[in-house]
Amino acid sequence: MIRVLVADDSRVMRQIVIRTLRQAGYDWEVREAADGAQALEAVRADEPDVILSDWNMPEMTGIELLRRLRAEGFTTPLGFVTSEGSPEMRELADREGALFLIAKPFTPEGFREVIDPVLA
Amino acid sequence: MTTLIAGDDVYAIAEELFTAMVDDEPGAVSQWFGDTPAWQVPVVAWVDLHGGWAGRASVTTERATADDLARALLQMGADEPVLEEDLHDAFGEVANVVGGNVKALLPTQGTLGLPQVADHDPGLPGSVLVTEVVLDWRGRPLVLRVRGAA
Repeated sequence: MIRVLVADDSRVMRQIVIRTLRQAGYDWEVREAADGAQALEAVRADEPDVILSDWNMPEMTGIELLRRLRAEGFTTPLGFVTSEGSPEMRELADREGALFLIAKPFTPEGFREVIDPVLA
Repeated sequence: MTTLIAGDDVYAIAEELFTAMVDDEPGAVSQWFGDTPAWQVPVVAWVDLHGGWAGRASVTTERATADDLARALLQMGADEPVLEEDLHDAFGEVANVVGGNVKALLPTQGTLGLPQVADHDPGLPGSVLVTEVVLDWRGRPLVLRVRGAA
């Protein structure tokens, strides 16, 4: 079973992400975080196999979370799930070490396309 | 400015949003034909765009329609009550996805604010209407607007 941490300040969006993961056919053990700061604490407490994070969140944004994780030595695979999928943001995500960026709205097929290579 | 974000772009964003995340099937929304009915109990969600191109993306509809939208997003039963918190979260996310995708169309990158929800549009001083699209979702109207600095 793959252990995933889903970070998004919207409970609705966390539910949709979790539902889409299930529709994509993965067997996940899911934990949730309501912002980047909660996600950082969750990783410190128990590092997941993969993190799916929103970009724009209060307290700590997704990109700040990624930077903090890398600064603390965590190499946890992280992908963004965000409504902002511009080329510039994809480039920044890539430069900072994110494995992928899924733009909202998304589909189970879109999830599989980017997550399959990470889990291979 | 008007050539940057056309009504067709906003409609395409909405169509993809409703197909992928609300009703899980294509054809969930279409263009609204005719006059938009006067709102009885309106609710508005919006996100502001900051940076080289400042503006706002908003969605307006009847409260009952927003409740049904929240039910659809949360996969709730038709008669289940929608908490105020869930309405704000769900309807705000609709505006957030529209705003994020509008932002991706812009030639200059900036930042996106967090979603806001209210019973009326507070307006955006110094802005003009860039485009407006009226959607038909389950026979009820939703108005999507993009405003930008004049």
